Amino acid sequence: MIKLTETVLNGLALGSVYALIALGFVVIFKASGVMNFAHGSLLLFGGYVTARLHDAIGFVSAVLVGAALAAALAGLVQLLATRGLRGAEIHTLTILTIGVDVLLSTELNRQVGADYLTMGDPWGADVTRLGSITVADARLASIVVAVVVISAFFAAFRWSRWGLSMRSAAADPEAAALMGIRLDRVRLIAWCVAGALAALAAVFLAAFPAPGLDRTTSQIALSAFPAAILGGMDSAVGALVGSLVIGLTAAMAAGYQSELSVLGAGFSDVAPYLVMVLVLLVRPTGLFGSKELTRV
Amino acid sequence: MRSTRLAPAAAVIAALALSATACSTKSGTDASSAGSDGVKTGPGVTEKTITLGALTDLTGPYASLGKSIVNAQQLYVDQLNASGGICGRTVKITVKDHGYDVQKAVSAFTETEPNVAAVSQMVGSPVVSSLSQELESKHLLTFPMAWASTLLGGEYVQVVGSTYDIDMINGVDHVVRTAKLKAGDKIGHVYFEGEYGKNALAGATYAAKKAKLKVVGQKIKPTDQDLTAQVTALKQAGVKAILISAGPRQTAALVGTAAAAGFAVPVLTSSPGFAPQLLATPVGPALEKMLQVVSPAPAFTDNPAMQKLAKDYKAKYPKDLLDPGVVSGWNAISVLGEDLKAACKAKDLTREGIAAAHRKQSRLTVLGVPLDFSDRTKPATYRSFIHKPAKTAPGGLTNVEPAHEVPAARTYALPKG
Repeated sequence: MIKLTETVLNGLALGSVYALIALGFVVIFKASGVMNFAHGSLLLFGGYVTARLHDAIGFVSAVLVGAALAAALAGLVQLLATRGLRGAEIHTLTILTIGVDVLLSTELNRQVGADYLTMGDPWGADVTRLGSITVADARLASIVVAVVVISAFFAAFRWSRWGLSMRSAAADPEAAALMGIRLDRVRLIAWCVAGALAALAAVFLAAFPAPGLDRTTSQIALSAFPAAILGGMDSAVGALVGSLVIGLTAAMAAGYQSELSVLGAGFSDVAPYLVMVLVLLVRPTGLFGSKELTRV
Repeated sequence: MRSTRLAPAAAVIAALALSATACSTKSGTDASSAGSDGVKTGPGVTEKTITLGALTDLTGPYASLGKSIVNAQQLYVDQLNASGGICGRTVKITVKDHGYDVQKAVSAFTETEPNVAAVSQMVGSPVVSSLSQELESKHLLTFPMAWASTLLGGEYVQVVGSTYDIDMINGVDHVVRTAKLKAGDKIGHVYFEGEYGKNALAGATYAAKKAKLKVVGQKIKPTDQDLTAQVTALKQAGVKAILISAGPRQTAALVGTAAAAGFAVPVLTSSPGFAPQLLATPVGPALEKMLQVVSPAPAFTDNPAMQKLAKDYKAKYPKDLLDPGVVSGWNAISVLGEDLKAACKAKDLTREGIAAAHRKQSRLTVLGVPLDFSDRTKPATYRSFIHKPAKTAPGGLTNVEPAHEVPAARTYALPKG
């Protein structure tokens, strides 16, 4: 029972970090139709800024600056895409993000080098004991922060003007534009939000029990891909549910590796993708993705 | 029509065949000639210089390790040249970066191979595996920066120091003694997929069998960052100690998670699983408390040779950290340096001459460690040191047990490569 509870808690903590990343994917996809392959390096960038600044300005301010700069950088990518390549196909823009990723990650790798950059977070290596279960404080914090931030995001999405514009832009860009919604601005904000969420995720990915931010941290963003696809690329709720499913699946498959040994070692790496494929077989647009209607 | 098309093709094939044979003679013994000083020379050796090759990773996942190895080898070569070089010739190293990409490594090798006398470092087991046949056929003495015992047995590919499996056998013995493990106890082994993990697991399994322990294996990938699930599983299985054969990041994640879970068992890794940079992170204190490192090399404070290396390295590269790469790089180039000196004495600096001189080294001491290269099928040493992390120590490690060899290391059947 203890093992199950610990595994579930870990799965939730992992899922909550995935959710921050997957929401970024979804927001960008919903607003501009682009799969953002540069998300991993945006995440690394946000984390890098936080790691470099926390000594001088304190942890909270460093996270805020990191999120702001990652948001600005994401916005810059979107500006480049809309201003520089106006009228380009969505596919071209998606490939553009791969290029941005290569450039950004190369430079960040050079900056980070062989270091493990600490985030200076207040939780350090502290742990909380709940009966016989022990959980790292940073893990609990990641669940709490993710819940707060994601709730705020959903509230904004549901009730703010930007949320309304965003939803209408996603439903029918042409009609939205005709109704006076400035698509460029909606997209820009979407990219910025995604950048800020990624920066926040970086903080928790690098926090204890991980040793710190290093050049491989950005690869985690890839694990959130199946989460976004599983939930449906254009559904924010889907991203959330998908992330929790993927987080729990990964934790369970690794936690019960010896029981699952008939399936071969390393099954936990495959499990999230297996779940994704199974879900897509039944629901090709993901759990919450909108169905594509084609009228003949 | 057909014949006119075939003719150019035939010509091209003929030209290729000719150039191929031309290439192969260039690096064989036929190209060797005696210089004015009566020393036989081969590829990479002129009247004035001896050129060595280095295929390393300066931009990929092992970039920091690659840099330390390159630095350490350059330091050795500088000192060697300052003291007169080899046979009156200056030694230089042509460094090529492959970024841990086998394709790039193969082209870099093709480019440098004709002009080098030996290879002082080759980073990456996949790179070594894909080039090993070529290295043997070109008679090119090569020091891989990988320590799987499956690399033993070649005449020209030479692992320096003990291998992963032997290290684990010595390491398990240490854990059994210090953690007072009894027959029937379980130990966990978290290992990378691939040659490194497989080889270490083979050693650990053998040693565990000898001590009547049971190994609970957990296979992971180099991209795995979060080992919570593995730790939970090992805790549940009730293991009394954990071995980890992975990268530094995974070691830190494992120890950090175990500490967070109040699961304070001894953790043992081999030297690729440790980096001194980890000690400055929040996991640092847990590492100092729980981790031990089994290594074929002494710690930087252990003996005068290591202290001198630490001092010289810091003087030449004040900004760079002392890490296991410095020792590995230095070890390989020192052995090669001694081989070159012996080959010079025998007046034969051809590739074959250098390799023959190398095979005669049965009592070579590098950084205080005696090495024996006379049997190519056996590791150069069966002894390992046990260190523990210490934030203030140079290189982040202090010694807890001097080099020792356990009987099981000799009865263990080395896997065939």
